[in-house]
Amino acid sequence: MAVQTFLFASLIIFSSIESNHGATEVSLFTNLENSLEVTAKPTRVGVVWEAGKDIVRITWMLKSSAKVNDDAAFKTVEVKLCYAPISQVDRPWRKTHNELSKDKSCPHLIVSKPYDKTTQSLNWTVDRETPTGTYFIRAYGTDVNGYEVAYGQSSDAEKTTNLFSVEGISGRHTSLDVASICFSVFSVDSLLVFLVKEKKKAKLQQRK
Amino acid sequence: MAPNHSNENGSIGSSLHGVTAREQVFSFSVEDGPSSQAIRSDDPTAKFALLVDSEHRAKVFKPFSFAKPHMRAFHLGWISFFTCFISTFAAAPLVPVIRDNLDLTKTDIGNAGVASVSGAIFSRLAMGAVCDLLGARYGTAFSLMLSAPAVFSMSFVADAGSYLAVRFMIGFCLATFVSCQYWTSVMFTGKIIGLVNGCAGGWGDMGGGVTQLLMPMVFHVIKLTGATPYTAWRFAFFIPGFLQIIMGILVLTLGQDLPDGNLSTLQKSGQVSKDKFSKVFWFAVKNYRTWILFVLYGFSMGVELTINNVISGYFYDRFNLTLHTAGIVAASFGMANFFARPFGGYASDVAARLFGMRGRLWTLWILQTVGALFCIWLGRASSLPIAVLAMMLFSVGTQAACGALFGVAPFVSRRSLGLISGLTGAGGNFGSGVTQLLFFSSSRFSTAEGLSLMGVMAVVCTIPVAFIHFPQWGSMFLRPSQHEERSKEEHYYGGEWTEEEKSLGLHEGSIKFAENSRSERGRKAVLADIPTPETGSPAHV
Repeated sequence: MAVQTFLFASLIIFSSIESNHGATEVSLFTNLENSLEVTAKPTRVGVVWEAGKDIVRITWMLKSSAKVNDDAAFKTVEVKLCYAPISQVDRPWRKTHNELSKDKSCPHLIVSKPYDKTTQSLNWTVDRETPTGTYFIRAYGTDVNGYEVAYGQSSDAEKTTNLFSVEGISGRHTSLDVASICFSVFSVDSLLVFLVKEKKKAKLQQRK
Repeated sequence: MAPNHSNENGSIGSSLHGVTAREQVFSFSVEDGPSSQAIRSDDPTAKFALLVDSEHRAKVFKPFSFAKPHMRAFHLGWISFFTCFISTFAAAPLVPVIRDNLDLTKTDIGNAGVASVSGAIFSRLAMGAVCDLLGARYGTAFSLMLSAPAVFSMSFVADAGSYLAVRFMIGFCLATFVSCQYWTSVMFTGKIIGLVNGCAGGWGDMGGGVTQLLMPMVFHVIKLTGATPYTAWRFAFFIPGFLQIIMGILVLTLGQDLPDGNLSTLQKSGQVSKDKFSKVFWFAVKNYRTWILFVLYGFSMGVELTINNVISGYFYDRFNLTLHTAGIVAASFGMANFFARPFGGYASDVAARLFGMRGRLWTLWILQTVGALFCIWLGRASSLPIAVLAMMLFSVGTQAACGALFGVAPFVSRRSLGLISGLTGAGGNFGSGVTQLLFFSSSRFSTAEGLSLMGVMAVVCTIPVAFIHFPQWGSMFLRPSQHEERSKEEHYYGGEWTEEEKSLGLHEGSIKFAENSRSERGRKAVLADIPTPETGSPAHV
C-alpha cells in the first residue's frame, strides 16, 4: 500500500516537473531580439504581385547594430510570409498571438535554411497557392531545438511600411465553367421533358 | 365522386367498431383478420404490399423494403432530402479554403451562412402549396433539378457577393424537406406517422453531418489529380450536383404521389378533387397552431441548421483542433440525427398511444427544453471532453424535438397539410437565420457566448407549445372539450370546409382522416363509442 502511494505520488511529481520544464520553453514574440535585417525587392515594382508568377529577391543578414555574439544561438533561419494588419481585419483565423506556437499571422513558410553567419538571399517565386492579401516578410532565427530566439522583418514594428499586395489565382477554369453550364442545362431540360411526357400521358388516359 | 368512397363510407357508418373495449377504432385491424381481407378484395386498387387503412395509407413501416408505393416513396423522399442537405452545407467544411480563395471576412462568411438558410424560408412555403396542388413527386423533382444549376455555378464564384448569392440559391433546395414530409404523411397512417416522419426527416438531416466528411474527402481526391486547391473546391461541388440530378430522375421515374396513383391521373379521373390554393392558404394561415409550430421549429431545426454552419469553426478555434478533427466533431452532431430524430417521432407515437395528443405535446416540450439546456451548457464548457458531451446531448435533445414536432404537425389540418408542413419548415429556416444574425455574424458575442444565448432563447421560445389546444384532444394543461359537437374529430377537420363544399362532398378525405385520427385520444380511444356522424356525410351516397 505504501509502495503504491509512493509510486503514485512520484508519478504526479515527475509529470508536473515535466510540464514545468515545457512551460519555460514557450517562445513569446516579445522575448525575441530584433537582430535580423530582412529586405524584399520585387522584380516588378509598383504593381500588385501575381501568385505563381512574380519573383521577389529576399535578403537577410545580421543587423550591423547587433552585438557580436547575438547570432551564436540560432542555427536555422525560417523565412515566412506574414499578413499585414489590413489583411487580418475581421479574420480571426489570422490573428496575431504573442505565444508563437499559437500565432496564426505567419502561416506561409518561404524557406528554411541553415544559418552560416553571412548575408543570405533567395529569388522566391510567389507561391501559386498564396491567397489574395497584403503581406510583409519576416525571418525567425531558431535554435537547435527549433524554438525562435530572434527575428527580423521587411516592415517596421507597427507593420505599416513596405507592405506588398498579392493577387491570388482565382481557381476558375473555362473547362469547369463549360461543364457546369452543360450539366445545369441537362438538369432543367430533363425535368421539362418529364413534365411534357406526363402531361401527354395523362391526356391520353383521360380520353380513354 | 368516385364509387370507392361511397362504399367505404357505408362500411364506416355501419361497422361496429368501438363497441367493445378491445376493438381498434380503425376500419381495418392491424392483424390480418377476415374483416380486413374482405374489405380489401372489394377495392380494386387495394393490392398493396403493406397493410393499409381506409385511405390506403400504410399501417406498418418496413425500412428495408422498397415496395411500391409506400416504402418506395419513403426512401425516395428521405434520400432526396439527404442530398439537398449535402448541397446546402457543402461549403461549410471547405470554408478555410474558400475564405482564402475569395478573401472573405468573418462577416462575409456569417452572412453567407444566413443566406444559405434564408432561401428555404420562401421555397418551403411555396413547396407546401406545390405539394397540395401538384403532388409530392413534382415538388421533390422541382426542388432537386432546378437548384442543381446553382450547385454547379460555384465554379463561377469570384468574390464575397457571388459566394453569398450562390449559397442563397442552393439553399432553396431545402424545400425538399416539405415534399418529403408531405409524401410520407400521405403514405403512412397517423398511428405511426411520428416514427416514419422522424426517420425520413432524421436520415435526411444526416446529410448535414455527412457533408462535413464527404466534401473534404472529395476535395482531397481532386487535389491528388493535380488541381490547385482553388480549383479543387469548385470541382468538388459537382458531386452534390450530380447526386441531385440522379435523385431527381429516380423520383420522377420510380415515385408515385399517392397510394392510389399519381395526382394528375387521379385528379383527371375524378378520384381526387382539385383544391383551390386560396382556400388551402387561408385555412393554414388562420389556424393559430401553425404559427406556434413555426416558432417551435425555428428553435429546434433552426438551432440545428445554425450549428451545422458554426460548430466546426467553433471547435477549431476554441480548442485548437485540426480541421480534420473539427470536421469529425461537426459531423457527429449531424449524424446523431440517424437515431435521434426517429427516436423523437417514436417517443411521440408512444406518448400518443398512452396519453393521446396531450402526450405528444408534453414529449415535444420536454425534448426541446432539455436540448436547449444542453446548448447553454455547451457554450459554457471550457474543456474539450465536456464540450463534446454537452454537444452530443444537445444534438439528441434538439433533433428528437424535431421528430416529435412532426408527430403533431400532421394533425393540425388535413386540408392544408402541405402548406402547414411548408410553413413549419420555413419556420425552421427563419429561426436559423435569426439566430445566426443575432449571435454569430458580428464580434459582439464570442461564439461560446452566442451558443449559450441561443440556448436561452430556445428555452423561452419553446414555452408556446403549452398554448396548442385541440378541442377534441386537449392541450398540455387543459382537458378535451366536453361539448358534444366540438369534442369530435369530424367537427375539427370538417370545420375547414364550407357548407357548400360539404354538400358537394369535397370534404370526404377530411372525414376519413378524422376517423383514422381517433387514435390521438390515447387509451380512451379504445373505450370511446364514436360512429362517424351521419350529418357529415353527403346526401348522394
